[in-house]
Amino acid sequence: MLEQILCIDDDPIALLLSKKVIAKSGFSDEVITAQNGEEALSYFNSLKYNTTKAVKKPQLIFLDLNMPVMGGWEFLDHFTAADYDGFNSVSVIVLSSTINPEDLDKAKKYPIIIDFLSKPITIQMLEYLKSRIES
Amino acid sequence: MKSKPKQITLIYVVISLFMAILCHKLLVFYALKANFYYFSFLKDIIFIFFTGIIFNYILSKNESRNISILKKMQSTNEEIKESNEKYDIVAKATSDTIWDWRIQEDYITWNKGIENVFGYKQEEVGLTSKWWFDKIHPEDSIRMSVKLYSFIEQKTEKWQDQYRFRCSDGTYKYVLDRGFLLKDENGKAVRMIGAIQDITKQKEEEQRLKLLETVIIQSKDSILITEANSTDGKIPRIVYVNPAFSKMSGYESDEILGQSPNVFKGPNSDSEALKKVLKAIKEEKECLIETISYSKSKNEYWVRFSMIPIFNAEGVLSHWISIQQDITEERRMETEKEHLIRELTQNNKDLKQFSYITSHNLRAPLSNLMGLLNLIEDIPIENPELEEILNGFYKSTYLLNETINDLVKVIIIKDNPSMQKEMVSLSEVFENVFGQLSFQIEMHKPIIKLKLDKVPLLNTNKAYIESILLNLLTNSIKYKSENRKLKISITAEQIDQTVFLTFADNGIGIDLERNRDKVFGLYQRFHNYPDSKGLGLYLVKSQVETMGGTISVESEVNKGTSFIITFKN
Repeated sequence: MLEQILCIDDDPIALLLSKKVIAKSGFSDEVITAQNGEEALSYFNSLKYNTTKAVKKPQLIFLDLNMPVMGGWEFLDHFTAADYDGFNSVSVIVLSSTINPEDLDKAKKYPIIIDFLSKPITIQMLEYLKSRIES
Repeated sequence: MKSKPKQITLIYVVISLFMAILCHKLLVFYALKANFYYFSFLKDIIFIFFTGIIFNYILSKNESRNISILKKMQSTNEEIKESNEKYDIVAKATSDTIWDWRIQEDYITWNKGIENVFGYKQEEVGLTSKWWFDKIHPEDSIRMSVKLYSFIEQKTEKWQDQYRFRCSDGTYKYVLDRGFLLKDENGKAVRMIGAIQDITKQKEEEQRLKLLETVIIQSKDSILITEANSTDGKIPRIVYVNPAFSKMSGYESDEILGQSPNVFKGPNSDSEALKKVLKAIKEEKECLIETISYSKSKNEYWVRFSMIPIFNAEGVLSHWISIQQDITEERRMETEKEHLIRELTQNNKDLKQFSYITSHNLRAPLSNLMGLLNLIEDIPIENPELEEILNGFYKSTYLLNETINDLVKVIIIKDNPSMQKEMVSLSEVFENVFGQLSFQIEMHKPIIKLKLDKVPLLNTNKAYIESILLNLLTNSIKYKSENRKLKISITAEQIDQTVFLTFADNGIGIDLERNRDKVFGLYQRFHNYPDSKGLGLYLVKSQVETMGGTISVESEVNKGTSFIITFKN
């Protein structure tokens, strides 16, 4: 069971689905959502200045690629470049509807990305991820 | 007593003396008057001596004259002999055929050359001029005889002519015939002697050179020849240009001879290319460049320009040959083509992006639908009408998802014409496919016969081969006959390097007479089934061909369909 999962997607229905499926799978008891990369970054910033000891931090990010304001790639560039102490252990899973092979090639260049999955998110998907992360 | 006249005189004197003594003796014996016989004897002796002296004188004179005549004759003979020998040597040395024609008698003789050069045996050679004229090529004969007779009639000073002379084997030789006349005291031509030289080789060489020259003159490529070296660091001076060059450059031959090809240079000429030419000239090496040249009227044209060094028999550079082509049009077309290719590439890229964006935008809400429907599955629904509606909703969404997934596969295949291959176990592939279709297999329970043992491993793309077999198997199940149990037989065989994968069923079949061309087409549907998308076989064919294979179909309505796929293994 993960402490917290962050889902970044501009599509509210996709976010709703993610929340429901994660809850159902019992993968994590807390799902935070952000509508684009910028929102996600400000969430991380807020965590950085939060000195409360018990604060939960996301261990996994489900990231959409095509988003307004700040897309997935831009978010990753900022996130990996900035100093977010304590977030080194965060892993990213791309969750997208893209079929562009360039996106797949690009994903290989980010070590933080541990998987590239095609929407929609399913229980089976999470079961598989759970077994991967646990091992 | 050496000379003959003295001998003859002596014999005469001795015989006369004997006769005189005999007459004296007889006279003494029988004579009546003995007083005169001594006187008579003395008179005879004196007569004999006188006549002997006169005789000797005449004979001696004759003799000396005869000797001088003989000597003269001997020396003449020597001269003739020597002259004959010289003639033979000369005739042999020149290998000319020499003829001697006594004009009045029309009697002609030939030396050995007529046999050695033309192959006529001595007995075949005719003795009149007719025989000679008969051997002359019909096309040359009239011209030759006109010239010859005007010479004999002394209207012309010299005679020599070229004509074709027929050999004994029927072939013709080109000859050069030269002759001179011998005249009698009245100045009339009585005899003519000539020498025929075989010039066939020279003529053939001449014709060959003429042919080669024609190539240069007629060539559509511009050809120019320059001297070997230049003193002023320019390209050496031009010594020849062909008509094509004049046409291309606008310079007539006499305007350009003696100039350096540097005159074709202009502001837009490629100076690097020109440096390359000068370097090649320095190193006496061949070179090929493309540059802008300038015509006489200072018009620009693109030229492909080669310089080839020509060496003489001693290996010393004698000339440069330059072959040039006007490639202005070629260049223009090339630029146009490049432009077109750039445009097409950009269009293609745009279209590809469009297809990615479109498919993404379609897939995003569809995946939401799928996800939501997955969630509904677990919620109990009390209202049967709602359940029915949701069921229809689910089916439609599922079909839409499948269609879009197939379309995406097509886009990806068309985008990636090359893909990774690996050794794949066919039985494993089938296990996966059966696993994915377990629901349908369980429902329809087809009899499936697999014979894959002959090709356990196939060098292929795993995802593609799975997709191909999944599509074919789905089709077999989808289009099975309602009247009989579905039987599917799948066989793999290998002949040499080619694997034949046969996929046969006993389904409803396809009317190939009507549809053969369309079977593998995009959006072709042959049965009115609600979930038929017209994409499956198009996708199968695309995937097979991307892997370098082929696919063919045999089918009979209500009997079944078989697909034969071949791969190089």
